[in-house]
Order: sequence, then structure tokens, then C-alpha cells
Amino acid sequence: MSSNRFDIEINGKACSAEKGETVFEVAAREGINIPTLCHDTRLEPAGACRVCLVEVEGQRRLEPGCAWKVSEGMKITTESERIERHRKVLYGLYLADHELDGEGLPVETGNGNQLRELAMKTEPLALNPVEAPRAGRPSDENPYIRFEPELCILCARCTRYCDEVEAVNAITLANRGSHTTIATAGMRGLLDTTCELCGGCIDTCPTGALVEKKSPDPLPADARKVRTTCNFCGVGCQLDLHVVGTNGTSRVAKVTSPPPGETVNDGNLCIKGRFAYDFIHHEDRITEPLIRGEDGELHPATWDEAIAAAAEGLGKVKEKYGADALGFVSSSRCTGEENYLMQKISRAVYGTNNIHQCSAT
Amino acid sequence: MQKKGAQRERILHLLEEEGGVTEDAVRRISAETGVPEADIWGTGLFYTLVSKPGKRVRVCDGLSCRIKGSDELLERLSEEGKECERVSCLGQCDRAPATLDENLEQVCYGGVERGVTPDDPSLPMNLGGPRVDSYASLEKAKEIGSDAVIAEIEAAGLQGRGGAAFPAHIKWRSVRGQTETERYVICNADEAEPGTFKDREIILRQPHLLLEGLAIAAHAVGAKNVAIYIRGEFTSERRMIEKAIDEAGEKISGFDWKIYNGHGAYICGEETALIESMEGKRGMPRLKPPYPTEYGFRGKPTLMHNVETAACVPAIVSRGGEWFKGLGRNEPGTKLYCVSGHVNRPGVYELPLGVTLDELVEVAGGYDGSPIAFSPGGPSSGFLPISDRDVPLDFKSLAKAGSMLGSAGLVVLNDTVDMAKATKWQLDFFERESCGQCAPCRIGTRYLRRQVDSYLADGDPNSLEFAGDVGWEMEEGSICGLGMVAAKPLESAMKHFPEVFEERSSE
Repeated sequence: MSSNRFDIEINGKACSAEKGETVFEVAAREGINIPTLCHDTRLEPAGACRVCLVEVEGQRRLEPGCAWKVSEGMKITTESERIERHRKVLYGLYLADHELDGEGLPVETGNGNQLRELAMKTEPLALNPVEAPRAGRPSDENPYIRFEPELCILCARCTRYCDEVEAVNAITLANRGSHTTIATAGMRGLLDTTCELCGGCIDTCPTGALVEKKSPDPLPADARKVRTTCNFCGVGCQLDLHVVGTNGTSRVAKVTSPPPGETVNDGNLCIKGRFAYDFIHHEDRITEPLIRGEDGELHPATWDEAIAAAAEGLGKVKEKYGADALGFVSSSRCTGEENYLMQKISRAVYGTNNIHQCSAT
Repeated sequence: MQKKGAQRERILHLLEEEGGVTEDAVRRISAETGVPEADIWGTGLFYTLVSKPGKRVRVCDGLSCRIKGSDELLERLSEEGKECERVSCLGQCDRAPATLDENLEQVCYGGVERGVTPDDPSLPMNLGGPRVDSYASLEKAKEIGSDAVIAEIEAAGLQGRGGAAFPAHIKWRSVRGQTETERYVICNADEAEPGTFKDREIILRQPHLLLEGLAIAAHAVGAKNVAIYIRGEFTSERRMIEKAIDEAGEKISGFDWKIYNGHGAYICGEETALIESMEGKRGMPRLKPPYPTEYGFRGKPTLMHNVETAACVPAIVSRGGEWFKGLGRNEPGTKLYCVSGHVNRPGVYELPLGVTLDELVEVAGGYDGSPIAFSPGGPSSGFLPISDRDVPLDFKSLAKAGSMLGSAGLVVLNDTVDMAKATKWQLDFFERESCGQCAPCRIGTRYLRRQVDSYLADGDPNSLEFAGDVGWEMEEGSICGLGMVAAKPLESAMKHFPEVFEERSSE
């Protein structure tokens, strides 16, 4: 339908748009930057942070680009004196309600701080601190996620993520006005809520008010990112391992997801992918095949030797007791293809239907 | 998991029954309704009537009550050993200082003479007259049909009397024209703009006019469901509505009537916040568009009117739109003006829309002392100097004067009042009642209040250096009307009373 496609104007430039799109979406496609703090493409637009306000011709007020739907012939202005003044004062207000560093800028965190980046671009109005009585949960003993109320801008990305993406609803906005905070029912620790500790709230937080307890904050300057595939299950989530240290001593210090829209996991991870990386450096980790010898001890072997030993053992059982004396259990960490091969071994090679995959229970 | 829908709509009522938010109450309600515990916790803590369990006396700190000694009363009651709480305007400004007992029933400590326009059958609402409960206008509306009714509303030029003055017929036509047939009519009886108590008087004195107006509206827009959202502090008013629905019986039985309680949040007078509240959520205003006429309660087309707007409808239908229009001066109809503060007979007076302050106060028994300022429509309208006493009290004229009529809750201040302090009281109100959703309002209201506090403490006007910028941003950048006007008290006071904010010796 041609009527669903039309042109709008952004800063005087004709941009092709489609019915149902927002100003923010069209601008992003055209490479026009509209700053925002509360927007996350995985969430319904909230229009709450007010950073993305733009001028819409014919509208008396500034309107949120993240939520404003385009219509034919609409004229948008994203940079003007009025918008500049709006940003200066708005950022000034945010800074009056935020922990600042020695230079009067929002503090840097291990997860960045988008408010700091915005403040560095536009000289914010210097306002006295408002000392909002925002309560945190200092006694929350969960091992992974820490909430820093002094860094929170109450954009509600975390609570909306927990609701709209994860459908877990462990956290909520609570109280009202300047007392508003991010809370759990009864201000309990996350372990005593429905929280699954996926850490998606950390990922979506624009100011680093939610951080990984296990990771150094901030990460050392030499940290580098290594893209890999999570091996905890067959979904194939992509991970960015943040590795610190040099060759011999390098360690994974943090795990994040590639940004939404780039990989199969769309910016999301589960508790295992995000937090369960300690095994990588664990001293008990088995790093090579082992075969138990006549002496009862385990001895290092090559893969060929190990596979041959396993095949021999399985063959002996089948010979003595029949194929149905065997059972095959594959790991939840296997991919679909690996699981297929496992049942192939079970059915075609050994002739038994005793095949199971551990995450099927 | 019940994120929305019928179960979710119950949670605030259940919290009320439980006596407020506690961990145990939240757990029980979650088990019963399937709504996540965190959602119930977060929603409950938004509303002052349920956020803190236990019972206590509530003392109003609205402007009229402050100037009539609510601070002293609070102190006295506390000394008597009563657990007391300072709360935002209770809508009882004519009996200032207003107080509610532990069960939210009114206690009268104010001894002033109160007034209401005496019986005059020519007035559309005639609060001082006998109750009108014939429902003849509803019958007539059914006879002449929806188009004719809406045409009369249009001819009457009826503007929304909650404060926005939006033409009523546009909303009626919009709801009537929606393809969705499940539609709602909602009455906004969450009267909470400080200085305003007209809806209360309509409900207590002419409840059937309200029901009839809503029924006519529902019939005209094709809605079967009529909901009345009444502020939780209005206990006797709620009982009156229940009784009136009962009395009306058959006459209004073609509609499903439902009463929803507010739970202590001024912001729920904003229409989309009110809808969120009815849906069992935190009363945070929605982004508009879409407007409620298209996407309202439960996402369905919704016609929402203030109590007074609805109560004007029966007279318009029975006597005609032209007649109603002719009652006003510059704008159509009569208007219920609430007046309190430094006047001799505070009350609700039905006068032609567009009278002046002097005319109004004359009806209200004259000024008490030497007036210096007035606030035409609650804190949202800021202050005007008494030299503006000739500005017609209508929507357009007051907007031109940089203020607004709003809900017509006029408060008169005499020369015993320190305007800087009065400003601070109004800012207190907005800081406490900001929903906290958007930064300009959440941070701005607190910033301004603190800066005025700082000025009051040390008399240094530098505290207010950036007040203009912050006020500008609150008006430009806030999501809803609360944030947009929350700087008005300071802005207008600094404009009209600059001498008050000059350097002064500290207190």
C-alpha cells in the first residue's frame, strides 16, 4: 500500500518513513542522532527521560521523538536554540540529582554513563544538588547485582525490561515524586524475589546504576572484548568476554551481550551466560581427556585414545547384556546438531532407543 | 501472571481492605490475584492512603488551611497525643483548617461561616435549591436522539470544568465516532486542586444532576458503562453517590454504574493518570496522543468529564444550549466558583462565567482584611496581584493575564501573608504530588522548593538565580499538566511581588 509510505522532513531533509514508525526510528535510519536515556529498542517507548524531545511543526510543546508517531508531511526539528536550552536545563536537573566526580560530571562507571556523555556535549546548568531521598537496598545479599541509587535517573528501563522482556517483574518503581526509587516487594534482596538474576537490568541501565558485583568497577583500561558463543546451551547466544591481563594471566572479568538487534540473543542473556564464567579459570577444570587405568587413577590421554576406550567399553556391555542395557544422556550444553548425532549413535550405532537429553526433564 | 485486566484492577481495593501496604498483605493479594508482588508493592506505595499502614489523623496543608492555622492545629493535635499526618488539600477549604479523623471522616475545627448560592431555579445547578431528581432531561435526551443532544452541547459551548476548558462536544463526537463499541463514560470526581471544593458540593447537594448528566452523556456516545472515580478522602460524598444511584433506581438502570475510590494522589485528577489508577497501576500520566476518547480505560474509547461539566448537562438538554450559553459573560454558562482564604464567607457560588473577583467576594461576604493577592484556580494558576481584581474570571481572560481559571478554586490572601512563604507552601504541594515519572517535574519541583527554603532561611536572592530556567524547562519538558504548571506559584510571585524576593534578613 503506497499510502503507508510517505516522506517526512527532519531538519529540512526529506526522509522516507512508514506509518507506525516513530520519529526516533526514522531519524536513526537516516543517521540523525536524537539523544535519549530511557529508550531501549526492546521496550515500549516510555517518553519519560525527556532527553529526546524534538520540535514537531504545529505542536505547541516539545514532543518525545521516541514515542511520537510519524505522519505524512510532518516536519521535525532536532536541533534549535529552544532544544539547546531545554537540554542545558534538563541535564542540569539530572546532574543536581546524580553523583558527580571532581569535575562536576556524572561519575564514570564500569558500565559507562550515558548521562556523563551527554553532559560533556552540552554544558549543563549548574544547579544545587536536590538530595533526593532515594532508597537503595544495601543489605541485598544476592551475589551478582548491585543497585546504586545515587546513579539512578529513574528512567525505569530496568523495571520495564524486567516486565516487558523477561516477564519476571521482580523490581518496580516505588514511592512517588522525588522519593521514587527502584524497589522489590518489601525491599527484599533479589534472592527473595522472582528475580532470575539474568542481569538484563544491568545491561539496559544507561547510567551504571546497576552493576555486576563480581566485576571490577571500572574495568582496567587494558580490558579487551572477545566475541564468543555461549556454551551453556544450544541457543547460541553471543557473548562479549571482557578479558583483562596479559597472555599467561589473562582472565575473564565480565560478560556482556552484544547490543540488541545484532545477534540471536538480541542483547539478552541468562544468569549462566552473564555470570557463570568462574569455571573458565577454576583449578578443578578438566582441560584434557582422562582414562582411568588399571591402577584406579585417571591418566591424561589423547582424544583418539579416549574415544577408542569409550567405544570399547560400550561395545563390551552391548555384547554381554544387549543394546538396551545401554543408555545415552546428552548434555543440555549440546547444540541441536550435537543432540541429533547423539541419538544417531544411540539408535544407529548401538541399536537402542534409550536416549535422553538432560534439559528435557 | 496478571499484568492487566480484571484481577489487576482489584489490587488497590484489596490493599485498602488490608489496611495498607505490608509485605504480608502484598503476598496475600499476589496469591489471590496473580499480580506480581513487586507490582502490588510499587503501586501501593504510590498512593498516600494505602502506602503506610495504620490509622492517623490527617491535617490539610493547602494554602487556605495554612493561612487559617493548620500548622498550629497539627502541633496541638500532636501534643494531645494523636498520631497526625500533614496531607495535601482535602477539598474542605471553606472549613479551614480541614481535618479528617482516623477513618477519613471530616472533623470540623474551623468555625467560619460557609456559604452557597441561595435557591434560584433559573440556575443550571442551583446548589442551594431543592434536589432535582426527575431525570426528565434524560428522558428528553433519549427522545430527541444522540445527534440532537450533542448539537445542544455544542450550541451551549460547554467547556470542561475540571480546568482545561476543552469543548465538551468534541469529546462526545469523538467517542461516538469510534468503531469500537465497548465504550466508557468516566466521571472525574478526584477533586484535589487546592482551593477547590465545588464537586463535593454538587455531589452532596445535587447528586442526581451528576448522575443524570453522566447518563445523558453515556446514552449520547453509546456507552453502557459509567464509572465514577471519587477521591478516597471523600467518604460521605461516596456514600451520597451510592445512595443517589439507589434512589434513581429504574431511571438509570440502563447503564452499569461503578464507583472507584481514589487512594490519595492528586495526580490522578489528570485523566490518563486516573485511568491508570482505575486499572490498578501507579497513577503516572500516559503520553498523549492517543487521547482517552480513542484509547482510554482498558484501551477503549472513553469520555471523561469533571463532576461539574456533567452536572451542567441536564439543564442544557432541558432548556437548550443557547440558553446556557447566554448565562455567561465572555464565555458560556454559569460557573461554580469556590472561594476561600481571606474572605468572610468562604463557599461555592454559582455565577455567570466571567465575573470579577470583587463581584465574587461581595457574594462571599467581602474581604477579610486588606487583600494583596489571589490565586484564581489553585496552585496551578500561580498568584495574581490584587490589582488584577478586574480581570474577568474566565478561561481566556485569565490565560491572557498569565494565569488560568483552572478549576476556579480561588484563594484570597491579605497583607498578613508573606508571599514568599505562600509560594513555598504551594511548591511543597507540587513536590509532594509529583508522580516522579519525568525528570523536569520530579527534580524541578524539589529543586525549586529547596531554593525557596534556602532563600527563606538566609534571605539571599541568589538562591533563585536559576528559578526562571528551571520553571521554563518544567513547562516545556514535563509529560503532563502538573509539571507544566508546578513552577507557576514561584514564577508568578517573583513577577508580581519582586520586592518580596529581594535580599532580606534571615528569619
